[in-house]
Amino acid sequence: MKTDKEKVKSKILILATLSGGYLGADSAGQGNKEYAPNVYIFSVMTAAIFPPEFYIRALEKSVDAIIVMYSGSDCPYKGAAEHTAKMISQAYEMMKERGMDQRRLRLSAICTVCVDPFLEEVAQANELLDEIGPIERPVPAVTEAESVTA
Amino acid sequence: MTEPNEENKEKDVKNNSEEPITVHVDELKDAVEKEIADAGGEDIKIGVYVCQCGGNISDVVRTDLVAKELEKFPNVVVSRDFIFMCSDSGQELIKKDIQEKGINRVVVGSCSPFLHETTFRKAVSSGGLNPYLYTHVGIREQDSWVHADHPKEATELAVHLMEAGVAKARLLEPLKPTEIKAKKHALVIGGGIAGLQAALSIAKADLKVTIVEKSHFLGGRVAQWDTVFPTDEDARAVLNRVIEEVLANPNITIHTGTELIAAKGYIGEFNIRLRQQPRGVSEDFDGLDEAIKVCPVEVPDEFNFGLSKRKAIYRPYDGCVPSGAVIDWEHCTKCGECLKVGKKGSINLDETPHEFDITVGAVVVATGFDPYEPFKGEFGYGEIPEVITLPQLERILSKDGPTKGKLEVNGHPVHNIAMIHCVGSRQKEGVHKPQPDGKVNDYCSRVCCTATLSAAKQIHEHFPDTNIFDLYQDIRTYGRGHEDYYINASKNGVTFLRYFAEEIPEVTKSPEGEKNPVMVKVKDHLTWGYEVEVPVDLVVLAVGMMPTPIQDLIGMLKVSQGNDRFLLEVHPKLRPVETAIAGIVLAGTAQGPMTIREASYAGQAAASKVIAMLITGQVELEPFVAKIDPERCEGSGECVKYCPQEEAIRLETFTEDGRTFQRAVVSPANCNGCGVCVSVCPNRAINIQGWTLDQFDAMVEALAMEVSVLEDA
Repeated sequence: MKTDKEKVKSKILILATLSGGYLGADSAGQGNKEYAPNVYIFSVMTAAIFPPEFYIRALEKSVDAIIVMYSGSDCPYKGAAEHTAKMISQAYEMMKERGMDQRRLRLSAICTVCVDPFLEEVAQANELLDEIGPIERPVPAVTEAESVTA
Repeated sequence: MTEPNEENKEKDVKNNSEEPITVHVDELKDAVEKEIADAGGEDIKIGVYVCQCGGNISDVVRTDLVAKELEKFPNVVVSRDFIFMCSDSGQELIKKDIQEKGINRVVVGSCSPFLHETTFRKAVSSGGLNPYLYTHVGIREQDSWVHADHPKEATELAVHLMEAGVAKARLLEPLKPTEIKAKKHALVIGGGIAGLQAALSIAKADLKVTIVEKSHFLGGRVAQWDTVFPTDEDARAVLNRVIEEVLANPNITIHTGTELIAAKGYIGEFNIRLRQQPRGVSEDFDGLDEAIKVCPVEVPDEFNFGLSKRKAIYRPYDGCVPSGAVIDWEHCTKCGECLKVGKKGSINLDETPHEFDITVGAVVVATGFDPYEPFKGEFGYGEIPEVITLPQLERILSKDGPTKGKLEVNGHPVHNIAMIHCVGSRQKEGVHKPQPDGKVNDYCSRVCCTATLSAAKQIHEHFPDTNIFDLYQDIRTYGRGHEDYYINASKNGVTFLRYFAEEIPEVTKSPEGEKNPVMVKVKDHLTWGYEVEVPVDLVVLAVGMMPTPIQDLIGMLKVSQGNDRFLLEVHPKLRPVETAIAGIVLAGTAQGPMTIREASYAGQAAASKVIAMLITGQVELEPFVAKIDPERCEGSGECVKYCPQEEAIRLETFTEDGRTFQRAVVSPANCNGCGVCVSVCPNRAINIQGWTLDQFDAMVEALAMEVSVLEDA
């Protein structure tokens, strides 16, 4: 079991969509629901913008786990949810090639009022980092060929 | 492919070492300055503002240290913390720094962007900058409010988040908002007083309104009351004035017996599917009294809160709107007895619900409340027949109620009444039984104190020989004219007894042969804790309000609920009727306990928001749509192939310097900013304006920085 101080060294990035995860996180905040202070929440309009190599780069540079919190089937953008899932699947392949634990990247449907699921995702990510520790850097760089997605 | 130079080789060695990558401020500063110089870009000057939020943030996060730390970052020319950045003086700071210090990018760390991003954009704009040269960083809901036990870590987190904001701000570009067409048509869910008032105000602005009401009749709870405070007017008379106006307005369409079954879309264009239950009885049916007589089904009459029975063919009261009767499909056995009376063909027991679609630009949720239903045995309710709720008393006092206005219970006249306040309100965990969701109702229902005293006044006027004992925790007659009811009750001889929530009054059945059927015991704190026993004929429980259960609707509309289960506005003071979903607003007691007066002005406030959204037929939306970088686009066509929106992006042929090539072109009106094109472009040649990949890369990089503000302090 890691100490609180060690835990804080592991960074969890949450890419939270404004129509889903970010509001879920807001709701958790409004309810003063405590969670570990190693969680960095970035609001995103849509998670479909991220190509797979973005996630690899983020893991390579600074964070130890990423949770993409989108609205799933309630995504306001037609086709964007499915596309996000596809991009993440491709990222999993790249992680596998690099020997990275794929559990470091998660896609999770979080609604505007999903306080408990939000907290659960954060807790699970921290449990995972307790188990596998922070990223062993450096991670193999993304090649030019891999950046062609589709 | 080029050979790396010596400097790059050195960096590669470092990047491939086992050491964690840490970017130091000075290095980053140099890199950024070099990048800007190389690009020949403008001189970026960033203003950073860390809001204390009156202690909401600064009680946990050392905002002074955050501001001090941010001062060190490249391009930051001003970094301050301030008590309330959203206040006039806070906004003035930003404007002044734009004008006097020449800052051209602004980063504010404060509450959720859903609260004040627009406020700060306006401040930036009024300072003379493009409003999109602004980055909002959430450090309250995402930091201070969830890390109260870790102030040091919370402060470091704030620095990191702010630095990520600064990293994004460096790459911001000026943007212009886009406009979309909006249907000049609103949907109002709920035909009670708040929904009717909202519909009327919207319709008066010459916008179309559709009201859907789940029950078969308009008026909601107000139709069930007898007189209403603070004017002592007849409730139905007040209601009918509003209903008449609604019926007379050609812009309003009403569907009773109707519920939402699906909702899709966005502000300006919500596609709504409705299901309407049939009435089963035509408006001109002339044999209602006879049909009611022959109907063999009897169920508790919800209009009288179960004090009487009604049949499966019914109408709640004479003068209801619509005036015709309906079939209660849940309980009707289709025995056919009603078909034998009155005009043939007026009753159709084979009617089925029908579904239909409407498209609206905005939605008002006015779904109302249910009175708190005490548990069996709570203050004797459900076990002692002489224990009723305040809404039931209202029906008893009503001319068309179960006793036709006579103050009697089970056929016995009532001379002594105990009225107990705060039943189902201001509850305490461990003292009161929780609801099925495990929570007690710890909120004040606000209306019940005055409603109870108003009923006491009515009883005194019509039944002056009645003794009233009022058992309260606190009297909260807070509105204009409400205190008069308290004064009036005192003058009229109402006996007040004060209890505390931990020592709630005890209600028991009197022993056989006693004159009064119920005994109420209370520890009265007006007499320094004396145990007082009050024998009475009737106990009235002043029950609180609970929101009408609308879980399906909440799921469809994606609106938020508070811990008290009422629907949640974005901000109680700044955006009091808006939900987080653009285009969906709240009205009335769906949002919290309110008086009729408050529900009426909540309805009108919701209407004013809807009018502002839809009146021009266009909604101004953020300019966050796809944009091509012509320098990078090589016409691969991947964006066109994967774009889910029709006609949002296409390939066009260009000729420049004798060279012919293809390049993607975006149609901003058709692009909804879904972002699919961004992730499939092999050249990073397309981005969503305001949310570019380069910005996110920079933000992620900022998280790699080491922060140790408290050691520096």
